[in-house]
Amino acid sequence: MDSIERRVFIRGAMIGVLAFSLDGVETLLTPRQAYALGVPLRTLQPEEAKTLEAVGEALVPGARPAGLVQFIDQQISIPPEEALLEARIMNVRPPFANFYRAAIGAIDRASKANNGGRGFAELDAAEQHTFIDNMRQNKIDGWQGPGAPFVYFLLRTDAVDVVYGTMDGYASLGVPYMPHIAPTRSW
Amino acid sequence: MANEKVDVVIVGAGASGSVYASVLAKAGKKVVLLETGPDWQLGDLISSDFWGRRIKPVGPPFLLEGKNPFGYVYQAGWGVGGAALHYFANFPRLLPNDFKVKSEHGKGLDWPIDYADLAPYYDKVAHDVGVSGDAKAEEIWRPAGEPYPMPPMKTFPGGDVWKKGFEATGIRLVPAALGVNSTDYKGRPACIYDGWCHVGCPIGALANPLVTYLAAAKKAGAEVRTQATVTRVLTAASGQKATGVEYYDAKKEKQVQEASIVVLAAWSAQNPRLMLNSASDKHSNGLANASGLLGKYLTAHFSSGTSAIFDEDLQPYMGTIGAQYFSYDRYDKNAHKAKGAFGSTFLVAGWAQKYSGLGGVANARSDLFGAELAAFMKRAARGYTRIGAFGEEMPNIDNRVELAGDKDEFGTPLGKITHSYNEDAIALFNANFEEGLTIAKASGAKEVWSNRGAMPTIHLMGGTIMGNSAADSVTNSYGQTHEIPNLWIAGPGIFPTSGASNPTYTIFALSLRGAEHLAENWGTVSD
Repeated sequence: MDSIERRVFIRGAMIGVLAFSLDGVETLLTPRQAYALGVPLRTLQPEEAKTLEAVGEALVPGARPAGLVQFIDQQISIPPEEALLEARIMNVRPPFANFYRAAIGAIDRASKANNGGRGFAELDAAEQHTFIDNMRQNKIDGWQGPGAPFVYFLLRTDAVDVVYGTMDGYASLGVPYMPHIAPTRSW
Repeated sequence: MANEKVDVVIVGAGASGSVYASVLAKAGKKVVLLETGPDWQLGDLISSDFWGRRIKPVGPPFLLEGKNPFGYVYQAGWGVGGAALHYFANFPRLLPNDFKVKSEHGKGLDWPIDYADLAPYYDKVAHDVGVSGDAKAEEIWRPAGEPYPMPPMKTFPGGDVWKKGFEATGIRLVPAALGVNSTDYKGRPACIYDGWCHVGCPIGALANPLVTYLAAAKKAGAEVRTQATVTRVLTAASGQKATGVEYYDAKKEKQVQEASIVVLAAWSAQNPRLMLNSASDKHSNGLANASGLLGKYLTAHFSSGTSAIFDEDLQPYMGTIGAQYFSYDRYDKNAHKAKGAFGSTFLVAGWAQKYSGLGGVANARSDLFGAELAAFMKRAARGYTRIGAFGEEMPNIDNRVELAGDKDEFGTPLGKITHSYNEDAIALFNANFEEGLTIAKASGAKEVWSNRGAMPTIHLMGGTIMGNSAADSVTNSYGQTHEIPNLWIAGPGIFPTSGASNPTYTIFALSLRGAEHLAENWGTVSD
C-alpha cells in the first residue's frame, strides 16, 4: 500500500465531535455547529458567556462563530479526564470551571474598574485591544484573579484551537490537514 | 485484596517499564505492569492538537515551586505507552563527555559508568525499535558503533533551508536519528510524513511502546492492569526487601500485589513520591534514602528556539515532529564559555509544524492577537520553520521533589517539585538565542526572531540518581537501589546529569542494560 492510499484508508475512522445537549437530547456536534444552532449552555452564566465571547473574538478573529463559548462550556461540563482544553496540560488544577470562572470574573472586574463601570463586552474595539495588550503584559491595575498573562495565554490558545486547530482552520490557511485518523469534517 | 504473588511488578507502562517487562517476560518471569492511566490503542491516536491532550495526565497535580517551576503535564504520560506514546522520537545519544562532568570540570556529578558501557545498548535498542539515521555521519562526534537499521528520513524544505545558515556559522549538520521508520521495518509501515507524531502515531511507524517493547512484553505473557494507581511500595519488617506494592484498581478498591522484584518505572517525580510515601520504621525518610538524596538533583532541559519565515513554500506541515537535522557541534561543556555559560547544547533543525497547540505556529508569536495574529498566520502558513538549541542544566541539590501537605483521592500526599535554573543555565539559554539569530540571519530568511518567553523546563530527569554507593546516590548503574536489592528504579530519574540530548533513547538503553542484568542475576537479587 503506498503512502497516499494508506492515508486515505486510515481517514476512514471519523471520530471527534463533542456531545452537546439540544432540546434535552445528547447530540454530537462540532462547536461551530453548536454555536449556529444556539445550543444552551450548561455551566457558564449568560454574562460570563458574553464576556468570554467578546474576549475570544478580540484575541482571535473568528472565534465567536467557531464556537469558542460552546467549546469551553462543553469542556468544563464534562469530567476533567475527558477534557481537551489546553488548561489540562498547563498544570491547571481541575475542575477547570473554577479557572474559567475566575479568569472571566477577573477580566470583567478589571474592565469595570478601569472603564467607568463597563464590562469587557461593552468596550469598543480599540479599548478591547488596549485592555488585552495590558493583560498580556501584566499591566492592569487592580487585577484580581489568576495571573493576567496566563489568562491571556490560555484564552488565546482556546480561541486559536477553535479557529485554526480544526480541519476548517487549516483550510482557511491554505494548508492541508493530512490526518492519520481524522476528527470530524469541521475539526 | 491480595493477588497471587508474581515474579515482577512494574509500576508504569511507559518507555522504561515496557523494556523491563519485555526482557523479563521473555526470560520466563511472571510480570505484571500497573498503569494508572487508560489502555490506549493505536486507534485512539487522533490527528489533532485538541484530541492529543487526552493522552496526557489529569491526575493529582504536583505542586510547582521555584523560580522556574517545572511544567510537567505537556510532556508527561498517562496510560499505556506513557510519555513515549506522544514523544517526538528524536534519538540522539549522550556523548562520552556526559559521563564524567564532575571529574573533568569540577561541576555537576559523575556517572558510575562510561559511554562505552552504554554504547552496546544504544545499538541493541536501535535494532529492537527501529532507528533511521546515518550513524557513520555521527562519528565526527562519537565512537563508532553499528549502523542504524534504516536510512535517514526524507527531508523537506523546512529543514533543508537551514543548511546555508549553519554552514555559514561553522556548524555541521547531519541527518537526525529518529525512532521512526524510513522504510517498512519488522512488520511496521514506513512513515508517511503527516507530522502528527506529537499526538501519537496510529500507524505504528513511530517507535512507541505499544508497537515495540510493550507489544513484545504482552506477547511473552506480561499482564497489564490499567487504571491501577500505586500508592506505596511494601517492605518486609526487616526493611531489607520489598514485598510488593499497594494500589487502587479501576473501581477504586485497594489491592496488594506481592512480587519478588519491584520495579518503579512511573516517572522522575512520581518514583520518589512513592518512595517517600513508603517510609517505614526501617526507612524513616523514605525507601533507599540513606544518602538523603531521594528526590534530589532534578534536572531539566531548556530550549532556545529561533523562528524564521522564508519566501519559499517550505511545506512546513510535512515531515516528522522529530528534527530533520541535528548537530553536536556545540556539545562541549565549554562551547559557550565566552558567554559565561557552562553545559552542552544539542542543536536541531527543521521539523513539521502544526498550527495550534502549545508548540504550534500560533504560539511562535504569542505576543500577537487580533488582526495582527490573523495576518501572521497567513504569512507563516507556508513559509515558517524553526531551529532549536537544547541546553543542559547541571544538577543542583535544591531542585527536588518532596511530599506536600495536600493529599489526593487515595490519601497519598501530593508531590511538590521545586525547580530553579542557575546562572550557568541562564547564560547558556541566552548564548543559544544569540547564536540562533546568527544562523537564521545567515540562512537568507525574510523574517527572523527568537522564541523568547519564560525559560522552559523540558524532560525532567534525576531524583533517584545512580552512583557508586548508598552514601552518594539512590541506585547503582543498573537502577537497583543500594539499600533494598529487590527494589529497582527505571527511567530518567536515575540520570545523575542530563546531557543535552533528548532522553528517551538513553532511557531505552539504560533500561535494557538494567533489565538484562536483572534477568542474568535473578537468583542473587530476587527473594
